[in-house]
Amino acid sequence: MDTIIMVFLIILVAYFSLGLLFGFYFIFLGASKVDPLMEDSKKKVRLLLLPGVIATWPFLIGKLFKSKPVD
Amino acid sequence: MGLDYKLVLWNKHKKTYDKIIALGMLLYLVVFVALTLALNPETTAETMIIRAFGSLAILMLHIILVIGPLSRLNPQFLPILYNRRHLGVSMFLAALVHGAFSIIQFHTLGDVNPIYAIITSNMDYGSLTNFPFQVLGFLALLILFYMASTSHDFFLKNLSPKIWKGLHMMVYLAYGLILMHVFLGAFQQETSPFTIGIIIVGFITVTSLHLITAFKESKIDKFNSEKNSEGWLEVCEVDEIPNDRAKIFTVGNERVAIFKYEGKLSAIHNVCKHQGGPLGEGKIVDGCVTCPWHGYQYLPHNGQSPPPFTEKVATYELRLNGKKVYINPNGFEEGTEVQPVTC
Repeated sequence: MDTIIMVFLIILVAYFSLGLLFGFYFIFLGASKVDPLMEDSKKKVRLLLLPGVIATWPFLIGKLFKSKPVD
Repeated sequence: MGLDYKLVLWNKHKKTYDKIIALGMLLYLVVFVALTLALNPETTAETMIIRAFGSLAILMLHIILVIGPLSRLNPQFLPILYNRRHLGVSMFLAALVHGAFSIIQFHTLGDVNPIYAIITSNMDYGSLTNFPFQVLGFLALLILFYMASTSHDFFLKNLSPKIWKGLHMMVYLAYGLILMHVFLGAFQQETSPFTIGIIIVGFITVTSLHLITAFKESKIDKFNSEKNSEGWLEVCEVDEIPNDRAKIFTVGNERVAIFKYEGKLSAIHNVCKHQGGPLGEGKIVDGCVTCPWHGYQYLPHNGQSPPPFTEKVATYELRLNGKKVYINPNGFEEGTEVQPVTC
């Protein structure tokens, strides 16, 4: 049982650590590439989105790779 | 529906509802503390905070879960539904205070990581009655975090409505985990019949309202009509549809709303692109079909949101034979213009 718990916790920590790293890049640089409405969005809005980006980064990273540059 | 994202989409009504939420939460906490001091004066401040915010979060979760069914049964509840997102985030904050104080009180005094301690302080995972209930609360809080942190239109658009909706349907899993968390906690720590009784009443209320709504909705899905020789379905008489409103039918496994407005009839897909709201339960405002949930709008003759917005829903072809309304069950591509039928 100890092993299962340790694996669960390591995955949890790794997931949220990667999410945090990706999150800061995404809210200030990446988000505008996937969503034009983010270009004029204020810093407060970007920071509000940070927890959600940390939580859902695997979905957003895929979208970021598929995105085309905004003119 | 905006050209950039806002921190919070407030308007006069939403501000009023938010004030009601904040005052309601404050009132609950004051009453809870006053009752606790009167009935159990030896309760410590930490325990009082844990119980007050925990019970507040559960109460708010029940309100959140019954808003949907209630507004389907009676449109007078729709204004509360419009503000459900703010209620959900407020509920998460209450649950977070409960969780944070529980961790501080029970798991920060040892020399192991508090999160590790939550999972390992009671290893009786094989027991039904002594199961580690705090783990269930932790998992529920994790789900509520996912939901609260993605409660913004940015995520609805960029995760896609399907994934976003799926994520937010996990509220039912969180509810189940919270029920077990409270039941086991009550059994193991205080054996309070009052706590258990309240939770049972709440569960019965939530379940009953969902079942009643599902029964009502199933009547729409069971709609069965004969096709004419050209494959068109007779759906109703034109007088059955109120002015500036719609009647909903299930056509080819899809729900379709037929609107009557300005002496014309148009049919569009019933599901709003925003959060899947039932367009047919909305009404025509300024010439547009207006979703009853969050006010997203579509032109009835082409299913397109008025410019500069870009949402589109499928449209359907109608015919009128005398007073009888017929629909072609093969819908058009989203946003296709269809000539309205004059009635």
